[in-house]
Amino acid sequence: MTKYLVKRFLLMLPTLLGVALVTFVLIRVIPGDVVELRYSGDRGAVSQDLLDKERARIGLDKPMWQQFATWLWGVVRLDFGTSMWTGAPIWEEIKLRFALSLQVAIMATIVAVILAIPLGVLAALKQDTWVDYSVRIFSIAGLAMPSFWLGIVLILLMLVVFKWLPPMVYTPFWVSPWQNLAQLIWPALAVGYRYSAVATRMTRSAMLEVLREDYIRTARAKGLMQKLILSRHALKNAMLPVMTVVAIEFAFLIGGLVVTEQVFNLNGIGLLFVQAVAHRDYTLLQALVMLVAGLFIVVNFLMDAAYAWIDPRIRYR
Amino acid sequence: MAISSPPIDQVGALPAQDGWLAITHQFCRRRPLGAIGAAVIVVMFVVAVAAPLIAPYDPVVNDFGGMLAAPSRAHWLGTDAFGRDVLSRLIFGSRTALLVGFGSSVLGATLGAVLGVASAYFGGRVDLYLQRLMDIFLSFPLIILALALVAILGNSIPNLIVAIMIPMVPRAALVIRASALAIREMPYVDAARAAGFRHGRIILRHMLPNVMAPYLIMLTAFLGQAVLLESSLSFLGLGVQEPMAAWGLMLRGAAVEFAETAPWMAVFPGLAISLSVFAFNLFGDSLRDALDPRLRTQ
Repeated sequence: MTKYLVKRFLLMLPTLLGVALVTFVLIRVIPGDVVELRYSGDRGAVSQDLLDKERARIGLDKPMWQQFATWLWGVVRLDFGTSMWTGAPIWEEIKLRFALSLQVAIMATIVAVILAIPLGVLAALKQDTWVDYSVRIFSIAGLAMPSFWLGIVLILLMLVVFKWLPPMVYTPFWVSPWQNLAQLIWPALAVGYRYSAVATRMTRSAMLEVLREDYIRTARAKGLMQKLILSRHALKNAMLPVMTVVAIEFAFLIGGLVVTEQVFNLNGIGLLFVQAVAHRDYTLLQALVMLVAGLFIVVNFLMDAAYAWIDPRIRYR
Repeated sequence: MAISSPPIDQVGALPAQDGWLAITHQFCRRRPLGAIGAAVIVVMFVVAVAAPLIAPYDPVVNDFGGMLAAPSRAHWLGTDAFGRDVLSRLIFGSRTALLVGFGSSVLGATLGAVLGVASAYFGGRVDLYLQRLMDIFLSFPLIILALALVAILGNSIPNLIVAIMIPMVPRAALVIRASALAIREMPYVDAARAAGFRHGRIILRHMLPNVMAPYLIMLTAFLGQAVLLESSLSFLGLGVQEPMAAWGLMLRGAAVEFAETAPWMAVFPGLAISLSVFAFNLFGDSLRDALDPRLRTQ
């Protein structure tokens, strides 16, 4: 077990390094840089000399490999540097916004799981009936609707039907839980519905597979109640792939909030990301991508570890 | 089928085996949902091709006299903040959606298939390095990679197609490699190798045609995602640019600002996106069920 985990852990490092390298190169290929953009307001009134000086100040004049090495050395010590646009420490820029996005992501996950598991089980039990078809249509519709549009429609509905608009200014949960939830539940619903679609389909197919197993037949044969068969035998075994899908989607969710945050006027990671691209804020972009991709890689590692722990066959492959 | 004697009038005319019509007929009968999806896609194609004939107005001409007009006889779905006819823009927007959707999915799935099959065929070092490279690209969320690529390439339609295609390549390669691994062990691949064919020929002529099922499955699964991604990028202002008609772009700016007074601007483009992605997914799902015996639910 330990050997497998160590091997799996070590495989994670080159991927992370690769992500760092790809990001580093990709964003420097984007035309224009932060210095040029910051002084572009003056329409060429700035001398080349000043631009060069400014570039030297934030280290953009050094060769690329040197910049990369300096940055990487910082990352190893968990120091992401300062934002090239605002000059504030990256950690300060990200902290609050990450908390916001994380909260929406967690709430969306809860919405998704609450929707997906009962619907998926129901569809599997009533396979090929109208119940199954309705669940299928409901989940495919969830995948089809862009969550930003769903957000617009949700806001519109509340405005027209209830003459009420959710608060548009962010209040931290610990300041006023109600105010906070009244704002964040809507993006969580819009994103969670879409997210539930994948999980519903996974629950359905996993349940269908498990229900055909011999041990379910045995459980039926010995006269176990249907309810008990479902909860103890079937659902428990079907949950593994469902949890994997939920975990992987969760890792992607924080990055995927990019568009939805725009609609709900949320100042989260997604909005920060778009701004960072617009400002060519290299350091901030690098930190954000490392955060999102790193989260994905770590979640994947944890899932593999959990699999190996649950299913001994995997360890010996 | 052989046991039950067929009605007299059908004895003479043997069903054309594997004819396109027969396959289509069977697909429609067995998978009504998929057939509905396919029908919507066909309608979309017709609308896109015949856009200049169908659209009642020019989609890009402003009419500042008739801004934000509610749906009426003259403008069935109302007008936008520039007085442009929403219906006409929707009709022309289908061109953008289909072009970017099909362009990027076909390219992404094909490139992924070639990489996946090559990775499985060569195995060893090549496989290991290719897989690690794919892992790296898989760690980026779809939209973030596409966003960065659009920022690099600029936002013309061909660039948009490339930016949406690249994140799809590793996803297709992953799935297709898994199928190709099994095919590599087939006797006919050994035979081809024994006959002294070159690697390129074996990969393209012997292995690629046999991963058609997962290829088509990935391709149709990508279609909906590509349309969604294009509309998301356009919504963020990084995709298709004004005044060109694109559904995501129609939801940007004024549509949100005036959502209360002119809801038609915000509702209809979203419906168009949803309906088309819904159709792509319905069709893709049914195709997957039909092509992949392991997933067949009977």
